[in-house]
Amino acid sequence: MTGAAAAGTAPGRAVLLKRLSRSTQTAFSLLAAAAIWEIMGRFVIDSPILFVPFSRVLVRGYELWQTGELQQHIWISFIEFIGGFALASVVGILVGGVLGGSRFLKNLFEPWVSMLYSTPVIALGPLFILWLGIGVGSKIAIIFLTSVFPVLINTIIGLTTTDKTLLEVARSCGASRSQLFWKVQMPAATPFVIGGLRLGVARALVGVVVAELFGARAGLGFMILNSTQSFDTASLYVGVLILAVAGIVSVWLLKLLEERIAPWRFTEDDE
Amino acid sequence: MTPEKLATDRLCKQYTKAGTQLEVLRDISLSVADGEFVSIVGASGCGKTTFLRLVDGLIAPTSGTVLIDGRPVSQPGPHIAFVFQQDGLFPWRTVIDNMILGPELQGKPARQCRQRAREILALVGLEGFEQHYPHELSGGMRQRVNIARALAIGADVLLMDEPFAALDAQTRTIMQAELTRIWRETKKTVLLVTHQIDEAVYLSDRVVIFTARPGRLKEIIEIKLPRPRNLDIKWTPEFVDYTNHIWHSIEEEVRMGIGLELTSRT
Repeated sequence: MTGAAAAGTAPGRAVLLKRLSRSTQTAFSLLAAAAIWEIMGRFVIDSPILFVPFSRVLVRGYELWQTGELQQHIWISFIEFIGGFALASVVGILVGGVLGGSRFLKNLFEPWVSMLYSTPVIALGPLFILWLGIGVGSKIAIIFLTSVFPVLINTIIGLTTTDKTLLEVARSCGASRSQLFWKVQMPAATPFVIGGLRLGVARALVGVVVAELFGARAGLGFMILNSTQSFDTASLYVGVLILAVAGIVSVWLLKLLEERIAPWRFTEDDE
Repeated sequence: MTPEKLATDRLCKQYTKAGTQLEVLRDISLSVADGEFVSIVGASGCGKTTFLRLVDGLIAPTSGTVLIDGRPVSQPGPHIAFVFQQDGLFPWRTVIDNMILGPELQGKPARQCRQRAREILALVGLEGFEQHYPHELSGGMRQRVNIARALAIGADVLLMDEPFAALDAQTRTIMQAELTRIWRETKKTVLLVTHQIDEAVYLSDRVVIFTARPGRLKEIIEIKLPRPRNLDIKWTPEFVDYTNHIWHSIEEEVRMGIGLELTSRT
């Protein structure tokens, strides 16, 4: 009895310790980076146009928040990001699903997909501003185009590289073609789809900034551009810092999502 | 005389690969009685697995027919279950959900299937593992689930394609003993493909030997060892006589098979 109880708690404690040490390590790494940043800004690079200490960036962020300006920029960029990325996810998965499910359509469209994927869509940015105006619409279009292809391509890969044995097992159980798709190919593709979303998220964040550089009235990219032009380097770093945090948070959220819908991919990690 | 469960009539299979015709199987006529355990052995590439896939209906024969209970088979269905060499468990499904895959695909109600699946899980000795995921199981356990899944389809005929090939020698031996027990308790008709001659002799009522490619029936040997058999039987002179006999029959086919491979490569 006691032996079993001890065996039950020992791995639990080990996992906790590992978790704890992992978050401590992360915290240490972040603190060290902040300290180096501060030292660099105070003692090494003394031009406030090129670089500012970490503390000054925080203060600047607080000031911008006080005026209400920062919230507005964050909100606009957030709307653009969510709109563009949500559209990219839905379209990427749906179109990827259709192309991955049909060899004919895949052969027909795959060259176009690879071509557009390798094209720097950013170059089309000014065109979108002309078409859709300076507002949120053109930004959503650009973000959509930068982030849709990783989702789409990963979905196709996930659907077309299903383990042959699994397909045969289902076939030998008398599965129909649509059952093969929904019960075997789709679930097998899930980790690939999420991998695509993770790649897409990073590209969508880049898309936010770049889209706003081409012409905007608000947003973090606009703020970054604006502060460069008025030599307000501290504000520039505020924008960059917020985007970095947004990147970390969205990747972390996607990891949580993956743990939820594809739990079999994670348990080995914990052992 | 037990009635015939499964029969193949002059079954042939040819592939066209890169423009050249490849004859894999020629005129296989085999009859298996209800509840009989038949193993197929032969050199690599002699078409054993192809034969099983034809019987299941996964692929279509070039000519000839497969009959189950006197009715021709044209596609896979609930009348036959297939145990693949790789366990083929769905990583996103728990053990119990893997097991109800067959009934689920046939549109049977899940609750009823779960109850039945639990009974089968107990039969293969995996009671209490219902909610485990495949990656949490050992190779032997996964293969048990694989067999359990096939049993859960509820078919009378079980086709097994080297189900223990991926297991280590000791686990394989244990699984052989387990399979005889399961076969005895479920009274299925089993057609097993294997490379292990001792496995074939130990498990089977009859052992069928295929020739090298194109695979033809070379010899059918009735194993008249008493049942129930336990693993000790493998050390008896009768058992060794059977394995020796089969080995000598296969040996020249294996040599021919190697020769074929060598010539087809050059």
